[in-house]
Amino acid sequence: MRRRTVLTSLAASSIAVAGCSTGEGVDTGGAGETGGGGGGDAAAFVAAISAQPDQLDPHKTTAYASFQVLENVYDTLVVPSADDLSMQPSLATGWTTSDDQLTWTFTLREGVVFHDGSPFTAEDVVFSYRRIIDQQLANSARFASVADVVAQDPTRVVLTLSAPTPNLLSNIGGFKGMAILPRSVDEASLTTKAVGTGPFRLESSGAGEIALTRFEDHWGQAPSIDGVTFQFITEPAAALTALTGDQVQWTDNVPAQQVASLAGDDAVELGQVASVDYWYLAMNCAKAPFDSRDVRRAVAFALDREAITEAARFDTARVNQTAIPEGSEWHHDYAPFTTDVDQAKSLLAGAGVGGPLTMGLMVTSEYPETVTAAQVIASQLEPLGITVDIQTEDFATWLDRQGRGDFDAFMLGWLGNIDPADFYNEQHRTDGPNNYQKYSNPVTDDLLDRAGVEGDRATRKSLYDQAAQQIVDDVSYLYLYNPDAIQAWKPGITGYETRADKAVDFETVTLPS
Amino acid sequence: MSAAAAPVRPRRNRFLAGARLLLGSPPALFAALVLVGVVLVALFDDQVAPSGANDVDVQQRLQPPGAGHWFGTDDLGRDVLSRVVLGAKVSLQVGVVAVGFSLVCGVLVGLFAGFYGRWLDTALMRLMDVLFAFPAMLLAIAVIAILGPGTTNAMIAIGITYTPVFARVTRAAVLGVRESVFVRASRSVGASDPRLLFRHVLPNALPPIIVQTSVSLAFAVLAEAALSFVGLGTQPPAPSWGRMLAEGRGYVDLAWWIAVFPGLAIVVLVLAFNLLGDGLRDVLDPQQRSALEAARARSGRRRRRTPGRTS
Repeated sequence: MRRRTVLTSLAASSIAVAGCSTGEGVDTGGAGETGGGGGGDAAAFVAAISAQPDQLDPHKTTAYASFQVLENVYDTLVVPSADDLSMQPSLATGWTTSDDQLTWTFTLREGVVFHDGSPFTAEDVVFSYRRIIDQQLANSARFASVADVVAQDPTRVVLTLSAPTPNLLSNIGGFKGMAILPRSVDEASLTTKAVGTGPFRLESSGAGEIALTRFEDHWGQAPSIDGVTFQFITEPAAALTALTGDQVQWTDNVPAQQVASLAGDDAVELGQVASVDYWYLAMNCAKAPFDSRDVRRAVAFALDREAITEAARFDTARVNQTAIPEGSEWHHDYAPFTTDVDQAKSLLAGAGVGGPLTMGLMVTSEYPETVTAAQVIASQLEPLGITVDIQTEDFATWLDRQGRGDFDAFMLGWLGNIDPADFYNEQHRTDGPNNYQKYSNPVTDDLLDRAGVEGDRATRKSLYDQAAQQIVDDVSYLYLYNPDAIQAWKPGITGYETRADKAVDFETVTLPS
Repeated sequence: MSAAAAPVRPRRNRFLAGARLLLGSPPALFAALVLVGVVLVALFDDQVAPSGANDVDVQQRLQPPGAGHWFGTDDLGRDVLSRVVLGAKVSLQVGVVAVGFSLVCGVLVGLFAGFYGRWLDTALMRLMDVLFAFPAMLLAIAVIAILGPGTTNAMIAIGITYTPVFARVTRAAVLGVRESVFVRASRSVGASDPRLLFRHVLPNALPPIIVQTSVSLAFAVLAEAALSFVGLGTQPPAPSWGRMLAEGRGYVDLAWWIAVFPGLAIVVLVLAFNLLGDGLRDVLDPQQRSALEAARARSGRRRRRTPGRTS
């Protein structure tokens, strides 16, 4: 599960540096675009992302910016397909499951080499997975049911499970946080260096930009572009100007309010796909008066989600009262709340909350849409007698307060989820690692536990539907909307696809000749 | 009574003459009018603003300036004019409180340092030097990092930032006054230190402090806008010009009015404080003042000679 985390100070310092290095981008990019000056095929592909990666160790970082880069450098055993995010072979060419669902055997691709020239074997898979499990790194929860990882022979890896895990594939392949590293790697250097099997190798990483070059010995087809340079442009307007000004060829930092006008703009190609992200409001279930289910339900009834979504995202998001978006096969159509202030008032009265109420709402300027939405939420809760005290924090402080449970309510989003377990388990199970709102309901726990080990897909879906319903009814999260993934690139660039999980894969990109 | 027999200090007349001299200069007059206007707007903001500053209406978003909304509406459908009007109150509040804070602290420090000299002077002024060593905004941001964002903390941060300026200005003025004949005379007849400090030294050291106050108000308004712009000052949804600029920045090519009107408001208020500061300096500096008076007197004589006026 990825929560985009970015060190604000890093991002701030990168603005100045990126400003300097953009000049170089203009020169090379311009030469490539115009084809003049004998640039030949040495065309540069510059991608502008909104933040600087905090570090490049795939097993340790949780920052989306890092994964935008690492997506092109590392591989996983399986990988989500672009169309429906179902798991497809990658470093593993196939897998078998024992009858009791407790032993998974993966057959590995042969002839794969790492960027340092060493061959890829089963030992590397064991090393990588053991590293995550033994050092309890960022994604160790994804291996919660894995009892053992063994290299049966150089091309076969066996995972032994303590309980059936129907979503094992999405656990080990959902994103590059489960990347395979060579067992000879110098672990300390992984913060700034990378040795993967992906289509690009990491050439250099600095404060201003990160440069990747084509890996000729890639197990698939080597990319047609020579390399990718990632630049960090925090300001959406600046990123867009850089794109139209030919300084960058691709960006995902597109202001939502510009999307409508960009759609008709020939100078820019727009990729817009419903993403699997969701944004929500969470109230502190361990703190009065929000520990009262009725108070939380009152808030849920008072909000006008359409207005919040429109304000935060213009027309680039869809209202949803559950987490999983409409396009997904795991979507459950359930929307019990309508905007009804009278109902909200009587719920508040019933909960014994007579007097005026103050709700501190923690948001972060790192994600400006939370600040915007908070102001709409504040105005909508006013008729209810709830004064919303909007607390804008820098993201580091925000995360710290969230971790300590020092809040009345907060708003944020989760991104890149694929399996329903990703959407609900860690956030809503009692004492789940991401259950910062301290929600606890034995009924929900039981449903989630049963769904987690259920092998039959239909039964599993029905269990998750019930769990989702319980979570929505209890207002553990107050779900608001699913945004679109929006990316823009120069016309003529082919082979790139905007994906629902927002993985940024430049492997098959070709530049206009 | 003996008081009446004491040497008369023509205080009132000097003040009036000074005010007349000040308002005789067009820039200062303009500044004074603007400031009176802004203060009135800030005092009667509820009456002046056409609607509530936080009345969100997403359906009415990004309306251009027109009959319904003179300054248009912002991305949440709020009336920009109302927010600019309420923002005036925030700007003035922060400016006045922050400068008041640095005025009191800085003047006391400068007064003691300059009057007593020796180790106290060294200790206090080195402390001020330390504060001075940091760029103003950086220091304000550091203070806010410790205290947490918010309007009150912005006031404190800006106040701390400008304290050394007042300390230096005061100390320099005090050094000039300390050895004056009247101070020594007063001391020789047994006047206490507090009496010397606040009755004799401070009043005579005031002119540069007054000028500095006006100029600092301009800086304080700018600093509040800057802090709010980066999200450390006034918190949403409260309107602050700096915040409005930041929010409007992403909409410049779609809805220029969101950023332009609060930006103009900042320009006008800061300009007014600066012009007033210039005017005050001319009036309060003895040399400048006599030159000014002489110039006025000349033009006055000319005017008196014109026909029609004499009748």
